[in-house]
Amino acid sequence: MDVNQPKQEHLLALKVMRLTKPTLFTNIPVTCEERDLPGNLFNQLMKDDPSTVKGAETLMLGEMLTLPQNFGNIFLGETFSSYISVHNDSNQVVKDILVKADLQTSSQRLNLSASSAAVAELKPDCCIDDVIHHEVKEIGTHILVCAVSYTMQTGEKMYFRKFFKFQVLKPLDVKTKFYNAETDEVFLEAQIQNITTSPMFMEKVSLEPSMMYNVAELNTVDTAGESESTFGSRTYLQPMDTRQYLYCLKPKQEFAEKAGVIKGVTVIGKLDIVWKTNLGERGRLQTSQLQRMAPGYGDVRLSLETIPDTVNLEEPFDITCKITNCSSERTMDLVLEMCNTNSIHWCGVSGRQLGKLHPSSSLYLALTLLSSVQGLQSVSGLRLTDTFLKRTYEYDDIAQVCVVSSEVKQS
Amino acid sequence: MLRFLGEQAAVKRQVLNANSVEQSFVGLKQLISSKNWRAAVDLCGRLLTAHGQGYKKSGLPTNHTTDSLQLWFVRLALLVKLNLFQNAEMEFEPFGNLDQPDLYYEYYPHVYPGRKGSMVPFSMRILHAELPQYLGNPQESLDRLHSMKIICAKILENLEQGLAEDGSMTNITQENRQASVQLWRSRLGRVMYSMANCLLMMKDYVLAVDAYHTVIKCYPQQEPQLLSGIGRIFLQIGDIKTAEKYFQDVEKVTHKLDGLQSQIMVLMNRAFLHLGQNNFAEAHRFFTEILRIDSSNAVANNNAAVCLLYLGKLKDSLRQLEGMVQQDPKHYLHESVLFNLTTMYELESSRSMQKKQALLEAVAIKEGDSFNTQCLKLG
Repeated sequence: MDVNQPKQEHLLALKVMRLTKPTLFTNIPVTCEERDLPGNLFNQLMKDDPSTVKGAETLMLGEMLTLPQNFGNIFLGETFSSYISVHNDSNQVVKDILVKADLQTSSQRLNLSASSAAVAELKPDCCIDDVIHHEVKEIGTHILVCAVSYTMQTGEKMYFRKFFKFQVLKPLDVKTKFYNAETDEVFLEAQIQNITTSPMFMEKVSLEPSMMYNVAELNTVDTAGESESTFGSRTYLQPMDTRQYLYCLKPKQEFAEKAGVIKGVTVIGKLDIVWKTNLGERGRLQTSQLQRMAPGYGDVRLSLETIPDTVNLEEPFDITCKITNCSSERTMDLVLEMCNTNSIHWCGVSGRQLGKLHPSSSLYLALTLLSSVQGLQSVSGLRLTDTFLKRTYEYDDIAQVCVVSSEVKQS
Repeated sequence: MLRFLGEQAAVKRQVLNANSVEQSFVGLKQLISSKNWRAAVDLCGRLLTAHGQGYKKSGLPTNHTTDSLQLWFVRLALLVKLNLFQNAEMEFEPFGNLDQPDLYYEYYPHVYPGRKGSMVPFSMRILHAELPQYLGNPQESLDRLHSMKIICAKILENLEQGLAEDGSMTNITQENRQASVQLWRSRLGRVMYSMANCLLMMKDYVLAVDAYHTVIKCYPQQEPQLLSGIGRIFLQIGDIKTAEKYFQDVEKVTHKLDGLQSQIMVLMNRAFLHLGQNNFAEAHRFFTEILRIDSSNAVANNNAAVCLLYLGKLKDSLRQLEGMVQQDPKHYLHESVLFNLTTMYELESSRSMQKKQALLEAVAIKEGDSFNTQCLKLG
């Protein structure tokens, strides 16, 4: 980690040590039975070993803390902690010592020192200590610049700097996918992959919605009053493991009306991720605002308000459709036609007029249909014709319904 | 050692070697308990040669006895204790998977008339199973341990059905059967312990935690220590909440320990919890609290010193560790403590080499020949 300036004898020495959390020492148990040659010797040796767990010497994971062996990796969102020590290596008293620590990234230079005051004097073999912390917010090359200035007994002012370069890596790979439901809900699937080299405990993954939406997280299940994570007992991610989180976004009341006419790109919200690694070493990341391309609805949008999940074979069931005039100026005169498919049979009058529909407004329509084929069936066959423009809009595969034989379904 | 200290200093060390003790099991035990394990390994070699085995004798027809196998076991076990895993692996090779015909009593009917079964000490099988994980192949260890588990379970089943261990009909007394059941239960427990440790080394934390829960069933008197250990596993993962839950569960079973031990355990766990919550000051307070009760507690001493470093108090930390080592080197000399010391010497000054040297001298005089110099990072 050292990148030093050309040599010059200084009275003070600067040392830096990164303070990742300590690790626990692991013992290697070697045991034998009383009847074996060493008798109780091996057990006694393990009992005498200061780092074994007393009473459970065979347990590998001890309680002795070991300082970090090397710099290790550092990831975006983690906190960089470091010990900075200035030691008087000489045999004379040194005056007016000022220690400054800065962090240089590709975009900025930050001051990290806790105190900016100079220390009046430093006796031989004494040291000035500081522990700096910094939450890393950028990826890439970082340089810790430590500058020490001091005055010798002779009055001569001295100055030196040391540079310590390190790379900040990306810890997570986040992929998002949007699913548009038949209603105005949007489902967000966030795939998070641990691309570090150690296991990660995901403490919190939440979606902060934008102004327009309310969010429900779908990653816990309520059983008997206790909420249990959908990931069960596997509470952590091993390196290269991926997890999917699911969120349901519903437009807020005041935006619900407009939801049908939203075009283009909308901002959904952002993911806030907090994780922990060894001994509670914390990391936190927020994604940028996630955007969704609203599906193109054209001038007339047909969506479903209500539809049952499961219906009986050959039994009529009701659905409610919402028809929205997505244009901003034209009032529409719509005619509804229902076409049957192999499995879907509409009940009612086809070809009726729906009346005038003003711009940016909707009307609700109750329809009845039945299915003649079992299984997951797709509701199709609605046609809306704009009588003025003589244009027909086709609506197929607007929703799915599960059709079961009436012996199966417990209504 | 010689390289760093020079001949004179090497002579000064109170080291016993294979020549300075009786050439027998008695001498061997002396070397083991005085931590002169390299000498003990040598002595095993000599005694095995006297048995017609050992160096340069592989490939010749074997002549194992229970004694010679015990000598092999001790030699291999000490190699593992010295962290000489590759040597151990090499020396284990001729034994195959410990089930060769010449390792059974039936192979030597003139020496052991009428005796049946394997002559291989159970502890040697455990050692053989655990070794691959120290060489980077934990899956092999797991496989071997699993085979052992199945056999132990089968033997227990036979015994519980009134048969002999090998499934044959037998007429042993109730007393003897009970003794045998106890023996095999404890052996099964030992295997489970190894499996849990191995899973932990593989970082398969979910399975490791489950395995340790099974170990608790085999060793209920160790429940507080094992629950604390599982809590530490969760701390390592970063799941502080679950660790806290486990530490709370420990407090419900501390009645299994004597008063002092249980107090110390609770304080230790609280200290660790604070570490997990980034609170080094509080952790230090708890480690120090332990020292008030038990001033010679090496772990609390070391850990308190480590906390001081994170609080920016290098000098204080060094003072604590040095004091500890000088006060009772025999008791406190441990790889981890010395590693921490040398790491801090490097941080403290450019003259760290001299300090390490001095430390090494102090260590050398007090320790046996088993000390691992690598932790001093002398290069």
